[in-house]
Amino acid sequence: MNSTNVELACIIDDDTVYVNLVKKIIETKKLCENLLVFSDGKQSIDYFEALLENLDAENIPEIIFLDLNMPVMDGWEFLERFTKIKNKFGKVITLYVVSSSINPIDVTRAKSLSSVKDYLIKPINIAELENIFARSA
Amino acid sequence: MIQNKLFEQVIGDLDIGYWELINNQSSWSLAFLKNLGFEEGEVEVGLDYFLNSLIHKNDRNLFRDNFYNLVRHDLDFKQTINILCKNGKHKEFVCRTKDELPVNVHGDANVIFFYERKYRTNEKVKKDSFYYQESAEMTSTGSWYVDFNKQESYWDLQTKRILEYPEDYKPSLKDSSQYYVEEFHQLAADCFFKCAMAGTPFNTEIKMLTAKGREFWAKAIGKAVYNDNNDIIGIRGVFQDIDDEKSKIASLQKTSEIIASQNSRLFNFAHIVSHNLRSHTSNLSLITQLIDDVKTVEEKLELLDSVKDISESLNSTIEHLNEVVTIQTQTNDSKVDVCFETTMSILKKSIGSIIRESKTTLNSDFSELKCIQYIPAYLESVILNLVTNAIKYKHPERDPLIIIKSYIKNNDSFLEVTDNGRGIDMEKFGSKIFGMYKTFHYNKDAVGIGLFITKNQIESLNGQITVESEINKGSTFKIKF
Repeated sequence: MNSTNVELACIIDDDTVYVNLVKKIIETKKLCENLLVFSDGKQSIDYFEALLENLDAENIPEIIFLDLNMPVMDGWEFLERFTKIKNKFGKVITLYVVSSSINPIDVTRAKSLSSVKDYLIKPINIAELENIFARSA
Repeated sequence: MIQNKLFEQVIGDLDIGYWELINNQSSWSLAFLKNLGFEEGEVEVGLDYFLNSLIHKNDRNLFRDNFYNLVRHDLDFKQTINILCKNGKHKEFVCRTKDELPVNVHGDANVIFFYERKYRTNEKVKKDSFYYQESAEMTSTGSWYVDFNKQESYWDLQTKRILEYPEDYKPSLKDSSQYYVEEFHQLAADCFFKCAMAGTPFNTEIKMLTAKGREFWAKAIGKAVYNDNNDIIGIRGVFQDIDDEKSKIASLQKTSEIIASQNSRLFNFAHIVSHNLRSHTSNLSLITQLIDDVKTVEEKLELLDSVKDISESLNSTIEHLNEVVTIQTQTNDSKVDVCFETTMSILKKSIGSIIRESKTTLNSDFSELKCIQYIPAYLESVILNLVTNAIKYKHPERDPLIIIKSYIKNNDSFLEVTDNGRGIDMEKFGSKIFGMYKTFHYNKDAVGIGLFITKNQIESLNGQITVESEINKGSTFKIKF
């Protein structure tokens, strides 16, 4: 029903329950073709840094949903490293921070970063998620 | 003349006599001479003449000491002295230096002022000595004098009381270090030596030792005493017992540390509540949205399965919360004597199989410090956590070697747990090691609660835990009890 133009989205989050639910929403609503999932910042930044070697548009996500509290490498450190390489992909990548933290310090800090489109507080709303995908399509 | 105009006016108006000191030479004001009944040029102006002919002999030594301390060390003073007038009678003056003045009119040169006393205090000497004794007693201040010529020292009654010596005790000059706690022998020697050789006055806090072997904090103040030839002939000073204040400061310090650590636990607690509980509830809310949204019964049932997962995680988070709360409340439990060996044997029993399977070598040395006052369950939990961590994060290329050692340093008890594991990147994670839900390795059983609990248990009993680590070499956790 909802034919979409978003090819690839990416979720970086260590909460498996949340990831499964978002997957489910994306499947049911057919919000995008493919979904990349990483359970922490380290795995995902490794992926993006490796992508630079071989810029294959198919493997570059249009949307990233990034959690903040994660083991090994948290969202902040990911953002720091991602911002440095962001413009080398030759494709617009829209990044949303999605966190359960309602700490205003986190919100302000994230919103002040140029690579962050918006700060979404969990739980995300299904309609809101659809809107985000529609906007990026 | 005194340079400050305002100053000059005030002095002139009040007709107060003064000495102005330039390059250690005193020049006397006209008012000073007139107050004594002399005309200008009638007497010899100079310290020597003043000391020998004008000042009353009872006031001479103290005034000379004060004078030299003023010109050499800028020490202000206030003293009552009797000066011989032209008419052959003594007049009483109060002399003070400029910093002792009640008004704020400071000149640039050193000045000593001489006010005439309106009433005589000689009749009051008895009363004064009563007040002196009273105030000495109330402030726990004893005075003393060291005479270099006679090689003897003198203590007043109060000094003997403070140091718990009998009233007929003769203080020893040769063994004077016995009055100080050993760590402070050097400080005491430095102060007295500098004062005796260079005349440097001292005002320091020092730990003293009474006749009964009790240690206490004292404020020690001393000034050099000079003779007519400007030689230092002794040291005069006071000891004040400031143990009460010191211990109050120490207990205040301790209280503030306890509050700081409780505050940080509360902060962690708030973080768990706001972040970890929230992530479960937000998942729940997401699920209910989805259940509403999906069409088929099968899909709805499938989603219900996830509710089970959430409920399990919610439970374990609440258990963790519970552990944190228990630490806060259990600290009131009384500590008992716990021996490290006993704790170790309990530990070996409970995780013996893990130790064997991982081929861990566990060496311990508790010879220096066998037992401490602690909550046994905490000690078990702390050591268990550090040992299991060392095994969990062992180096992939070698069998774990864990060395546990207890010792005493500077009167504090310590325990060190050293491993040869994979180590932690201190630069990156140093500040987060003891945080809640922080894991730094890919390890499926890493939860990130162990070290957080360990730190909280140790801090709730006013201890400290620190870590040193190097990647691929291992880590050392050091606990100060």
